[in-house]
Amino acid sequence: MRPSTSFRPAKNSILFGIVLIAALLLPASASFADFIAPQSGGGTPNAEGIRSLYLWIFGFGCVVFFGVGGLLIWTVLKYRSSKGAVAVRVHGNNRLEVGWTVGAALLLVLISVVTFLKLDQIKNPPNSSASGLSTPKNVAFNSGPAKPSLPPNGRSLNIDVNGQQYLWRYTYADTDTNNLNNVFSYEQMVVPTNTTVSLSIRALDVQHSWWIPELGGKFDAVPGYTNYTWFKISEPGVYKGQCAELCGRGHATMIASVKAVSPDEFKLWYAGQKAAILTSEKEAAAARNKLIAKDAAALKTAPTSESPAAAAPVAAADGKKIFVAGVPATGALACGSCHTLGAAGTKAAVGPNLDVVLKGQSAAMIKASTLYPNKVISKGYAANIMPANYGTSLTKAQLDALVQYIDEAVNGK
Amino acid sequence: MTTTTATPTKPGIPEIVTNSAAPRPSGWLSWLTSTDHKRIGIMYIVASWVFLVLGGVEALLIRLQLAVPDNTLLSPQTYNALFTMHGTTMVFLFLMPMIAGFANYLVPLMIGARDMAFPKLNALSLWLFIAGGVVFYGSLLFSPAECGWTCYAPLSETAFSPSNGVDSWIFLVHLTGVASFIGALNIFVTITNMRAPGMSWGRVPLFVWTMLTQAILLIISIPVIAGAVTLLLTDRHFGTHFYDPTNGGSPLLWQHLFWFFGHPEVYILVLPGFGVISEVLPVFSRKPIFGYKAIVAATLGIAVIGTLVWAHHMFTVPLPFFLLIFFMLGTYLVAIPTGVKIFNWIFTMWRGSIEFPVAMLYSVGFLATFLLGGITGIFLATFPVDWQLHDTYFVVAHFHYTIVGGAVFAMMAGLYYWFPKMTGRMMNEKLGKVSFALTLGGFWITFLIQHSAGLSGMPRRVYEYADVNNLGTYNMISTIGSFILALGVLLTIINVVQSLRSGAKSGPDPWRGNTLEWFTPSPPPVNNFDVVPRVRSVEPMQDIRRQIERQDRVGEEAGVAAGD
Repeated sequence: MRPSTSFRPAKNSILFGIVLIAALLLPASASFADFIAPQSGGGTPNAEGIRSLYLWIFGFGCVVFFGVGGLLIWTVLKYRSSKGAVAVRVHGNNRLEVGWTVGAALLLVLISVVTFLKLDQIKNPPNSSASGLSTPKNVAFNSGPAKPSLPPNGRSLNIDVNGQQYLWRYTYADTDTNNLNNVFSYEQMVVPTNTTVSLSIRALDVQHSWWIPELGGKFDAVPGYTNYTWFKISEPGVYKGQCAELCGRGHATMIASVKAVSPDEFKLWYAGQKAAILTSEKEAAAARNKLIAKDAAALKTAPTSESPAAAAPVAAADGKKIFVAGVPATGALACGSCHTLGAAGTKAAVGPNLDVVLKGQSAAMIKASTLYPNKVISKGYAANIMPANYGTSLTKAQLDALVQYIDEAVNGK
Repeated sequence: MTTTTATPTKPGIPEIVTNSAAPRPSGWLSWLTSTDHKRIGIMYIVASWVFLVLGGVEALLIRLQLAVPDNTLLSPQTYNALFTMHGTTMVFLFLMPMIAGFANYLVPLMIGARDMAFPKLNALSLWLFIAGGVVFYGSLLFSPAECGWTCYAPLSETAFSPSNGVDSWIFLVHLTGVASFIGALNIFVTITNMRAPGMSWGRVPLFVWTMLTQAILLIISIPVIAGAVTLLLTDRHFGTHFYDPTNGGSPLLWQHLFWFFGHPEVYILVLPGFGVISEVLPVFSRKPIFGYKAIVAATLGIAVIGTLVWAHHMFTVPLPFFLLIFFMLGTYLVAIPTGVKIFNWIFTMWRGSIEFPVAMLYSVGFLATFLLGGITGIFLATFPVDWQLHDTYFVVAHFHYTIVGGAVFAMMAGLYYWFPKMTGRMMNEKLGKVSFALTLGGFWITFLIQHSAGLSGMPRRVYEYADVNNLGTYNMISTIGSFILALGVLLTIINVVQSLRSGAKSGPDPWRGNTLEWFTPSPPPVNNFDVVPRVRSVEPMQDIRRQIERQDRVGEEAGVAAGD
């Protein structure tokens, strides 16, 4: 390279100018990436598909806008009134009019074709990559007017997204049927990279809308319905979004974020959450047992005339006693400590109100529900709360008396 | 002594002078009790502009709150109430009554009728609309609704909106709905039965065609929204559960019913604007409208397809897949007649001799603005793209481009065009041009950038936003634009007030118009026409002028012959 000996200010300043403009534009173009098109990020194919479809339509739109707009401005300038100008009295031109009608229709056909070509990438999730988290086959989907989108092999990480005034709750599906021990989080969702994540979107109170702009389109959380979407992130990072449907005064602050981490990190996080839930469940069970033991001790010290299990003929009046106080000696907890029953004067709300849920039920049903509490679960209550030990902790006579008492208390004689 | 040189004859201005007429009643009581379609029309327009000022102030407050990120000027409650009132006011209390006002004033004059078919029902419509406005703004004294102009259930149910603001919104919809429904029946009956002799369907002015179509749309859609808000009312107060999902109701029912009204409503607002443009463009291009029949067919086509695409407002709710496809393709179809119209309008000016009074400037501004609104509509109609754009500022920008570009600019053109007819005085053209420049420029500055705000992740109806993705810059630009726009509108109001007092006298036909309203004096007398002329074409005034010209020439030739 020949060293420059002469200083040429004009050329140099042009070069300098170009470099300066490029230096200014580079960060600007990066920060203005979403100036003309929607965002996409993290390598999720659905958002990329939407962005590219948008850009296609943007191209067509520019042609129409500048074409028709140019024609408008040209016409207005060219045919403005001037001395001696005479307007031509034409009423129309059938060929021209049919021409632009067909032209407009063809353009729309073209846009439809591009849309249908892009639809697969946007709508249908791919399988998780080999480097992603291996997940079991999904079964826990509800049916509704919208159909869930599952990858071809049916394996994805399913997360239940629940919108509530004014936060998002995420519950991770697992393989058992107990939905009380599932891992959950609020506001920030943690997901593994290279893994197809399918979301079931619901709402607790009013309508919300799930939207993380970089991870694809928004899907409304409508109370009473389930909506579905998915994403598959390849780059770790935090992707932010917020509720997109007016849900009340806190709408603007109802934010959401998705944190994508490597599958190994995800497993670690997941195991930690699961362990924490198991620990707290154990602590709760221990506390429950402590209460039972305390009740039993209190009864032992109290003078009793008869052994609880040996009372031969049991009257209906004893049913009330069992309901209110239980049979501590055998570990039968008092029904009234968890249930409301007007006749017994109990007002607890751990379990459903018996005056309501047992109204009109047969004695056989009451008996079955006492013995097998998980058989029928009232709406709004979870399984595995009520003890299932009444078949062993009560004698047959005591059980019959209890059922008879509850039946009479709720449904009359 | 007679002149022997043949002087070039000036084309005569047709004038019909009444022989005797009862003195025009005056005083405010005569206005309140009037059943004259022209007075009712003017009262509609004046009331609608009062609400425009209210809705405009609400818009400016919204823009002030959003001017900078994380602003604390307004509380979330006030902000939510403001955008609810802004949207409701602009749709139900500004645009619909302003259109009703122009329709009331012009339809009988344009078709050569002496009044509307049912003058007393006409007055009832006006006063029901005003009652609706009073009931709605009455809630300002208590706690205004905070659920947006769409008032989605279950947010609008008592559990989440316990205040009476939603109830006043419901009554507003009922009262203005009944007003519009009666008004639409009146317009329909008037147009179908009271046209001048010779005015067959192929000679009906295009503004009248659009009003007829709009009336049909109102008759179809108003009962649906009336039913929807009645169900909401019984949900709120009488223990029903139509929209309550915890008791078997469905929030989607509300959305379907609302948008079955809400989407035709868009055409209810813009079709009359299309009509105004179709009247103004030929007059100032000095050319007949290009493709009259195509424009009429496009108007009817937009109305028919427009009632079948409501669920494109619901692409993000759980819907079966085939419905998404159906509503996307249906919405594409609407673009065809709309595109046809834009080409027809441009070709109306093509090879014309175009003059540019303010009315014409607004018409051209309408074309450019509405063009962009139509194009962004295609983005939103494509449901996968809508999944990103729905409920963001992109949508806010889109519907302001169509409604302000399509309806408001056209009505501004109408105001500058027909003001001389209504008052007998010209508006100030210079002030009008300044006002036009500020309005159009302010509008584009305010709303063009909002597309980018939406693409950068800003949802609508948020009272604050974080300063990410340049949102602070975009919103500041938008706020500055909104104040320029407001100044433009203010200048037009000043122009109207000044011109009323000191505008130049206009005479019956200052623009050399095409339609029959220019046949009457300005302002027209109570019963409009002493003699209703026979209509022979779409441009009866052209025929009349030509006839008078011919008569003048014949008369002059006869005079010259006699002098010789």
